[in-house]
Amino acid sequence: MPDSVAVVPFVVLAIATVGGALMVVLSRNVVHAAYWLLEVMIAVAGLFMLLSAGFLALVQLMVYAGAVSVLVLFTVMLTLRRREDAERPLDLSWAAGGVALAVLVTTGAAIVAYRPVAPRGAAVAPNVASFGRLLFTGWALPFEIASVVLLIALVGAVWWAGGDRP
Amino acid sequence: MSSIAPVAPELVIALSALFTLFSDAVFRRRERAGAWIGAVGCLLAAGLSASGGSGLTLFGGQIAVDGAALFARTITLLLATAFFVWLAGAGLRGGGVRQFAALAMFGILGALLVISARDWVVLLLALETATMPAYVLMGFERRADRGLEGALKYFLFSMVSSVVFFYGISFIVGMSGSTSFAATTLQPGAIGLVAAVFVVAGLLAKLSAVPFQWWAPDAYSAAPAASVAFVSSIPKIAGLIAFARVVALLAPQARGLTVVVAGAAVLSMLLGNLAAYPQQDLRRLMAYSGIAHAGYLLVGLAAGTAGGLRAASFYAVAYAIPSMAIMLIVAGVGVRLDDFKGLASRRPYLAWTMTLLLLSLIGVPPLAGFTGKLFVFTAAISGGLLWVAVLGVALSVVAAGFYLRIVRAMFFSEPVGTPTAPAPSPLSVAAILLCAAAVVAVGVMSSPLLSIIAFTPH
Repeated sequence: MPDSVAVVPFVVLAIATVGGALMVVLSRNVVHAAYWLLEVMIAVAGLFMLLSAGFLALVQLMVYAGAVSVLVLFTVMLTLRRREDAERPLDLSWAAGGVALAVLVTTGAAIVAYRPVAPRGAAVAPNVASFGRLLFTGWALPFEIASVVLLIALVGAVWWAGGDRP
Repeated sequence: MSSIAPVAPELVIALSALFTLFSDAVFRRRERAGAWIGAVGCLLAAGLSASGGSGLTLFGGQIAVDGAALFARTITLLLATAFFVWLAGAGLRGGGVRQFAALAMFGILGALLVISARDWVVLLLALETATMPAYVLMGFERRADRGLEGALKYFLFSMVSSVVFFYGISFIVGMSGSTSFAATTLQPGAIGLVAAVFVVAGLLAKLSAVPFQWWAPDAYSAAPAASVAFVSSIPKIAGLIAFARVVALLAPQARGLTVVVAGAAVLSMLLGNLAAYPQQDLRRLMAYSGIAHAGYLLVGLAAGTAGGLRAASFYAVAYAIPSMAIMLIVAGVGVRLDDFKGLASRRPYLAWTMTLLLLSLIGVPPLAGFTGKLFVFTAAISGGLLWVAVLGVALSVVAAGFYLRIVRAMFFSEPVGTPTAPAPSPLSVAAILLCAAAVVAVGVMSSPLLSIIAFTPH
């Protein structure tokens, strides 16, 4: 595993992440903000990829970009009645800014102070292929039960939504 | 074929559930076909479970069928068969029998997996499979605001309790370095006890025992009686078996865990039996009765002995059968106590059956409830919990008061107004009578049944 990452892709992805996050806050239209959030999630997945964390990148894409962002979009679109409702005033509150700054300073301090204690790099780094093999052999039963849980949620949602009328 | 034998009942139920979902393509407008598919599937699965025997493991030990699992799976499936026969006969007022049956079958699938799970991850996923359909069933009347409110309460509370359960499991897996029951080792000291208490708290919530009981009366009294009949009985057997396994696994390693269970048992018995008195809505009354009976079950577990675990497993069945049958009668007659007034003169067979079922819940010999209570309290005394047993017996006498109030309403009261409930269909009456017969049979054959229940060490 390399100790440093390529500079050019990192700078591009970092600008995409930070710039996208700024756009989430600054854009006037909530639907646009939701799409910028999606862009941030994808850029973070790229950063994970750059750090050779392939599995984390996939989870980031599937869970955050695929599910969470789309859920936000659905919520926005289902709750808005008119096109004009999507516009929001630019609300720069000092309290929110203070909280964001505090989080930034704390996280920054934690990163600077961090000294890895685990041995650096296992003999064989687990990759997506070995994870997948394990998921469909030793963990096949829990995997299948989880899929049944999702199916039940789907059937229940369809019933409550009033589709499939008796 | 032999290699999948341990999960053959689960496979049959899963296939029946999927078939039911799409059965309108085959049976067109006859939506009660869903209930029939459920009844046939459950009966077939019960046969497979009974003939499969015990001592089987599968999926590298993630699933194992011991004597207790053989007993609990077979009884769960037979009880479910009776439920689906009732559903096929009575139907649902608002329609949607097909979806109701499919969701109930998914719940049964989860219950079967809970019973035989030997791995923390499998157990927590199976518990979710068993409870997820229950949320929908509790709010099945989708145009009733109160029903949806009750379902939402149940959902939110159950989710929080699941998260607590997962949190406890994450500690346990971290300490033992493996997700299997066999490798579970708790570190001595506070952290081990905290993990064990979190896991037990999650399971207490699933059994609706004190202090996690408050959602049950609200959710039950807003739900259709048919949903209450299912949710309050069939998943309870599975939950108790899992609870017994967890206690057997963790109690020797976490000193003080049985004290927590005994405390929950005492409080559940007290609150359930006393709060049931003023209730006029039978669903609410049976919710408090369920809390009280969760207390009796926990008495057996708190004893911490092998005999206590077996007694509690037996009592779970002795509670589930009459509880389900009573709610099925309520679904046909009406949910208010007033609806039962004068039932003996209108439909004497229902009144007498109801009386038999109530007597079993009180604990009158030779019915199942009596032998169940006998086993549980005997185990408690031999486990050194004499005062808990004495309190339990005293509260059983108290409980007779509110159960007999229903009997008095049926036999010695004039009907209020003109009863509007239509005559029950012969099929639904047959299902209820089968349950009543089972209450007698389980009580009479208690010793051979108890000898089947054996928890193999992990």
